[in-house]
Amino acid sequence: MRYLPHTNSDRQAMLESMGLHEIMDLFTDIPKEFHTKLGSLDLPDALSEAGIVKKFTKAAEKNRHAGNTRCFLGGGTYHHFVPAVVDYVISRGEFLTAYTPYQPEIAQGTLQALFEYQTMIARLTGMEVSNASMYEAATATAEAALMARRVTRKTRTVIAGSVNPRYRTVTENYLSRLEGDYVEVAMGEFGTDLSQVIDAIDETTACVIVQYPDFYGSVYDLAPLREACDAHKCLMVVAFSDVSAFGLIESPGAYGADIAVGSGQALGIPMAFGGPHLGVFACKQKYLRQMPGRVCGLTTDADGKRGFVLTLSTREQHIRREKATSNICTNQGLMCTAASTYMTLMGDAGLETVANHSAAALDLLVSKLPNGVVAADGAHYNETVLTFASQEKRDAFISEARNNDIFAGIPLETIEKGAEQIDGNRHLLVATTEMIEEDDISDYIQAMEVAL
Amino acid sequence: MSNTTYSATSGIQQEERLLFEHAHEAPESISLPGVQGKAPSSLDVFKRKSAANIPGLSEPETVRHFVRLSQWNHGIETGFYPLGSCTMKYNPRVNEQVARLPGLAHVHPDQPEDSVQGILGLLYELQGWLTEISGFKDVTLQPAAGAHGELVGLMMIRKCLDARGEQGRKKVLVPDSAHGTNPASAALCGMYTVEIKSGADGRIDLDELKKHLDDDVAALMMTNPNTAGTFESDIKEICQLVHDAGGLVYGDGANLNALVGVARPGDMGLDCLHINVHKTFSTPHGGGGPGAGPVAVNDTLKPFLPVPRIEKDGDVFKVVTEDKQSIGSVLSTLGQTGVYMRANAYISAFGHNHIHKIAQDAVLNANYVLSRLKDVYHVPFEGLCKHECLLTDEWQNKHGVKTLDIAKRLIDLGFHPMTVYFPLIVHGAMLIEPTETESKETLDSFCDAMLEIAAQCEAGDTQALHDAPVKPIRRRLDETQAARKPVLVWSD
Ligand SMILES: Cc1ncc(COP(=O)(O)O)c(C=O)c1O
Repeated sequence: MRYLPHTNSDRQAMLESMGLHEIMDLFTDIPKEFHTKLGSLDLPDALSEAGIVKKFTKAAEKNRHAGNTRCFLGGGTYHHFVPAVVDYVISRGEFLTAYTPYQPEIAQGTLQALFEYQTMIARLTGMEVSNASMYEAATATAEAALMARRVTRKTRTVIAGSVNPRYRTVTENYLSRLEGDYVEVAMGEFGTDLSQVIDAIDETTACVIVQYPDFYGSVYDLAPLREACDAHKCLMVVAFSDVSAFGLIESPGAYGADIAVGSGQALGIPMAFGGPHLGVFACKQKYLRQMPGRVCGLTTDADGKRGFVLTLSTREQHIRREKATSNICTNQGLMCTAASTYMTLMGDAGLETVANHSAAALDLLVSKLPNGVVAADGAHYNETVLTFASQEKRDAFISEARNNDIFAGIPLETIEKGAEQIDGNRHLLVATTEMIEEDDISDYIQAMEVAL
Repeated sequence: MSNTTYSATSGIQQEERLLFEHAHEAPESISLPGVQGKAPSSLDVFKRKSAANIPGLSEPETVRHFVRLSQWNHGIETGFYPLGSCTMKYNPRVNEQVARLPGLAHVHPDQPEDSVQGILGLLYELQGWLTEISGFKDVTLQPAAGAHGELVGLMMIRKCLDARGEQGRKKVLVPDSAHGTNPASAALCGMYTVEIKSGADGRIDLDELKKHLDDDVAALMMTNPNTAGTFESDIKEICQLVHDAGGLVYGDGANLNALVGVARPGDMGLDCLHINVHKTFSTPHGGGGPGAGPVAVNDTLKPFLPVPRIEKDGDVFKVVTEDKQSIGSVLSTLGQTGVYMRANAYISAFGHNHIHKIAQDAVLNANYVLSRLKDVYHVPFEGLCKHECLLTDEWQNKHGVKTLDIAKRLIDLGFHPMTVYFPLIVHGAMLIEPTETESKETLDSFCDAMLEIAAQCEAGDTQALHDAPVKPIRRRLDETQAARKPVLVWSD
């Protein structure tokens, strides 16, 4: 077996040095009745390396992917450009095959990359501090709700119906075993009506969670929410699905968010059929000690040189156990390194260009919609809802687009079920990035014209 | 006795500034594809008032910056990494190659099912293999890491108890040797924990367990082999006792590497088990993640598995998003599928004919290390160990040397230290997990280094231990300072 260095004579020598005869002598502490007959598991025969490549290539060829289609799918995962350098950096064995930096003297690479990540995420989201990642956006949102309970010592959670339904589901699930109300505010439209959200806040509310840009891609003024949160002494939590927006539009922090959470997948991380992605978690400095997850901090070494360590671990499970701020241990570390590398390559200017191109593509698409298809009102970043005359028409378009190697969008009812604004399965959630070219949009519109 | 082949030296290691300290203005930004226009004017009022201040370096500078940083890291590809409870085994490179195939890496999670049959097939196949290897009836791939799996397992246990009309049961028994995530997950699930004191042999003491078994008990969370590296041989009785009291048994599978192909937790009476695929199934740790924490279940818990999940209907793979008794979902997507591609490739490389060699060689290596060190380091619990062995610093304490000094000295000798100060049931724990992918030569040179350290202690020649490490780019870092005045972001 090519991953195992021992020869049989090594094994024999090692056993003999311990006064043993065969390797199974090392398993006598496991009751006999639980011994599996060696070789009896229902698994296939071992594959050679070439066999593995062949098997995976064959499976991969059965899938369509962003490389051989035009991908207008969003809903929390976006096909942005991934520069070659990002994948190179995270393929370096020193980053890829290191554990959590528990021995900081020999993990300064990971630690400095994390410190740079935290800094850049704080700047991009306009927040004061960032942790070193959560699993992904939905669990980050749930953790924000939990953190708000600790900070405010209140238990009611208010969440806008325009937050990604998947983030809502997971948040509700996390909260459902704890005391306290979970209130979803139905929006009745493809956008966010802040006044309804604000009306739902009361004195017992721990936090209000909104998404910005919201699940439908809509961008709106968050300022009134800050005032309402101050009035009721609750935390303002802003979630997001595509962090690339903040290369262009005002950040959650600029609106006074207490906690900003969402997906950092846009920062150089492939879609990978849903993971691994990157859960971003940033907050105000004053709430730091209630923040979940690992953080990296600056310090000095015995010679007075600057260095980095994991810090504030008294919040964490390995020290605080059942009183920890979260149970998270393994996080998405390597994805932070990817995001750091990506942001370094982009800089402010590159990030702004990504956002401009992403938004310009949607704008172009919407401007060319034929009669019979309507886009949601208001300002949008790179995602919107298209409404067709009927499900038949919509589905005819989806399949015509598909014939032209286009994934036209996500039928809204597959993610969001039962919302008031969804009348008939005739809505399509469509997203664009800088990977969509003008030609792709022409083909998209043409497919629409053919189908309708 | 120093071994020049393995000892640390310093070659050209460059100091490297923070990104934010690079002096010059950002160069021309990288050229980007797409619609070359500007965002629509409807967004004008929402524009950032000031730039985020993300530095932006040219491509060559970016590469050099991160490559230099990488060189300050120790990884499993650089050397031995015997971190107990972490299973730092070699991460096969072919797994990285196949996971990056465009048809796997660039697939959107909401593509129509007929366009993702290939990847669904690989995930479905892995579900079957994980179920078979662990000895359970089914598995969920949704949990993103071990701790997330713990939460999912406990959610299923609570739901199962609810279905039995036993809503009141909220007590979770956790051995004092358990990993911190166990009690933290119980709290997150709205339950409370009671710690059970380990017996003199480091294992669960049946009489102690019995004392805590009553009508409030929802579950026992146990790790087997436990975090002291020994097998809980009373496993059958333990499960029986908990079940008789009306509770369920949660298995923390972080130590599954000791059992792969040799014995199956599902056969022993556990109700579920999380598997850390970033440990047992060789997916890389990435400096902290990502991993994945699938949970395997028996028939009792199967109805409560999370959605979405993958099922097979004839020749077609389907994603099931609703299921009446399910605990619902705990992630936006099916799971960390990129991680699972690597796990699938790993198991493929072993097959039924070799898979047991993982546990065999892992256990052989740990016992070999134990046998070479047991005369010079205190072994708190006698007998066979499984995939890792536990020592303490008791004999070195009398020379003023602590576990931390030993760990730091190992760095100067060219080795990543073992896990230190865990488990908490012994003073000054040193938990050594060599894994099956290390050669006898590596194990011997590590043991030689450990013997050298012990000999230095005996000789009272301990200065080098207290000063260590001196070879890496940084010496001991001041953790108190970092925590007292936390600086988590750079300000220019
Ligand atoms: C015994 C044990 N249980 C649980 C965990 C948590 O797993 P993860 O880090 O994947 O969340 C770990 C990992 O460190 C562990 O060693």
